[in-house]
Amino acid sequence: MSLTVVKGLQSEIYVPITPEVVWTPVEKPLKEMKVALATAAGVHLKSDKRFNLAGDTGYRIIPGDASSEDLMVSHGGYDNSDVNKDINCMFPLDRLRELESEGFIKEVASKHVGFMGGGGDVKVFKEETGPKIAEIFKEEGVDAVLLTAG
Amino acid sequence: MIVQRAIESAGISTIIIAALPPVVRQNGAPRVTAPLVPMGANAGEPNNAEMQLNIVRDTLKQLEEIETPGRIVKLPYEYNAKI
Repeated sequence: MSLTVVKGLQSEIYVPITPEVVWTPVEKPLKEMKVALATAAGVHLKSDKRFNLAGDTGYRIIPGDASSEDLMVSHGGYDNSDVNKDINCMFPLDRLRELESEGFIKEVASKHVGFMGGGGDVKVFKEETGPKIAEIFKEEGVDAVLLTAG
Repeated sequence: MIVQRAIESAGISTIIIAALPPVVRQNGAPRVTAPLVPMGANAGEPNNAEMQLNIVRDTLKQLEEIETPGRIVKLPYEYNAKI
């Protein structure tokens, strides 16, 4: 049987393409883990530079001992009213500390990261910002990262 | 999700609390929990420490539970923002 072959033929129906799987198996119990937070919600120290609301590929480091009173949000892409009332609803650092005192996790990392997700330069996020943030956590010896975004 | 994937690729296990699970799935997040919350209150209602603690605890638990990449686990907590 001969087939009709047309090079480069594509369906005109767009189908979603999910990126390939990334996976690091969990090898420690939670009670032995150092856990860090990372959020796309635009959280940073009040004393730090605000994000550019029109698109910002930067990130801000938040020290593990920061008080939630010292944190704020600058993000142009979602309703900030809840997070302005209580930063923990996007950046649950106080809750993570409670889990540390319960012994549920071993410790809260000494560095956490806030950035402004939901837009911006995807290529820069993929090739620069993401790997840089990962490097911070690697240097910290973090076992797991809890994110809030999307 | 891009940042989550970068961290996971660097050899650190990650999990994300998502308000928009289909978006997160589409972008290839390795582990996801999804409470019934609006965008902007992913970890629960503001000033509701109990709900937030439950969401954070149950999410971290899923680090040990989820064995399939891309799995989304729904969490039984609900918050409707009054806008």
